[in-house]
Amino acid sequence: MMYEDDVPPENRVDLAYSGLDLFPEHLSEKADRIQSLHLNNNRILVLPRAVSLFQELRHLDISANGLTHVSGELTHLPNLRTFIAKNNLLEDGALPKELGRCLSLQVLNLSGNGFMEFPEQIEGMAGLRALYFGANRLRTVPSEIKHMSRLEILYLGGNQISSLPLEVGSLSSLMSLVLCDNRLESIPPHLARLRNLRSLSLHNNRIAALPSEIIALRNLTELSLRGNPLVVNFVRDLSYDPPTLLELAGRGVKNSGIPYGEGDVPPNLYRYLSLARKCPNPKCTGVYFDARVKQIKFFCNIYA
Amino acid sequence: MAGMDVEMRGNAIDEMLKKKRDLNPLPEPETLDDLVQGLKIIFQDNEINVEEVNEYMSKYKTNAREWYKYAKFDHHRYTRNLVDQGNGKFNLIVLCWGEGQGSGIHSHSDSHCFMKVLDGTLDETMYSWPSDSEDERELQKTETHSYGKDSVAYINDSMGLHRVENSSHTNTAVSLHLYSPPFDMVECFDQRTGHRKKVRVTFYSKFGQRTPFPDQGPTCTEQADVARTGCTSVETLEPENN
Repeated sequence: MMYEDDVPPENRVDLAYSGLDLFPEHLSEKADRIQSLHLNNNRILVLPRAVSLFQELRHLDISANGLTHVSGELTHLPNLRTFIAKNNLLEDGALPKELGRCLSLQVLNLSGNGFMEFPEQIEGMAGLRALYFGANRLRTVPSEIKHMSRLEILYLGGNQISSLPLEVGSLSSLMSLVLCDNRLESIPPHLARLRNLRSLSLHNNRIAALPSEIIALRNLTELSLRGNPLVVNFVRDLSYDPPTLLELAGRGVKNSGIPYGEGDVPPNLYRYLSLARKCPNPKCTGVYFDARVKQIKFFCNIYA
Repeated sequence: MAGMDVEMRGNAIDEMLKKKRDLNPLPEPETLDDLVQGLKIIFQDNEINVEEVNEYMSKYKTNAREWYKYAKFDHHRYTRNLVDQGNGKFNLIVLCWGEGQGSGIHSHSDSHCFMKVLDGTLDETMYSWPSDSEDERELQKTETHSYGKDSVAYINDSMGLHRVENSSHTNTAVSLHLYSPPFDMVECFDQRTGHRKKVRVTFYSKFGQRTPFPDQGPTCTEQADVARTGCTSVETLEPENN
């Protein structure tokens, strides 16, 4: 496994696929040597308090057990770096309230469970580097996620997320953001602040347009967009009614700031000039009178 | 008549192969090493029986301990890890797919391609070749398949293009690929337009050693070069209706 390289083989215990019904507390006799424990694919329904006996534990994998409850004693492990509990039966409230006290935790994998709400206690985990929360039932991501300042990997694929808080853009350490197979209709332009982002997975969502600023991300080399209703073609024929000479003259006066008073122009023109409206495009400092440009933002077809 | 010749020739080759194997049976592929040895024997000949390779690769039952050293994952994309160069006749490569990772739509350089799943599940979506005309048209999906542990799939250019992906959000996937003759360039296709680009395929590791490639260039994941081309939003013009 990717994360286990810091543990010599003799300090790893592999009891995966072993038909266990209970957490193997008896192993605590050798607890001073057990740094990595694989308990995935058994029938351990509860991670009990006895887990705190394993004070040297750095990596714990208890995936695919039908686990419904994680004891708070987990947070008493001073060296725990990796906790993997994917493909279990964990739901809202199953995690210990004090999980945030686990300061050593760097990798947390809760994919394939039944969470509907992003657990509050995770929001404060400023030391967490990787959070895997795929295939749950999340509908939103809390703005408090901005506190997870060390987060490098955020996996949220396969949920029911329909919008992202702009605070995701504050996760300055983020290198990999996975949002595929959700219900996103748009992406906040604040994601363009993720200078370290190398991969962004957006396929199979409901995104109609992407903020163009995302393209500026220099480190972004992997981007998936398929399965989104991105508008495909440029509108090629631009047919419109040109503004009148009156309109053009009026714009000229206003945009150039040519000073005029009531006596300088005929009353009807004076009245006309007072009708100038500011262009709704915040980047445009111009005014218009009757002919208005209606903005439709869409996305070009350079992307697959 | 030409069709008959091809069939007769095919039968002659099968006869010859059968005699060869009766004299010198292939080793049972009980380990990955056995499999490699057997494949080297098979590919000594110039004529390859696709069915035979398929069956032979199916016989090997995946054992993570044997391919563990090639199973190097990357957070951002799938990896290609060279196992053996088959005496120049083929490349045997372990591909590692993280959760949600997939390839772009690609062709196979006129080579035979076998894929055996060693762990997890891989989904394949096949597409027809785009037409030769200038039109931009979306690629047509033809078939989809899902391959579980130990299953073997085969593709060559005459069958079309495909995309392979690990659709799971919880489990990784590992596959063993045999490409004969070996190639280092593929064509990668844009699903919406049918446009193609040549992409050099590189190795993440060789023989178990990580081999970083100085400048990746475009890769055959979905759209690696998107960030470079740039795009801005566009305004249309519409008269205001008072």
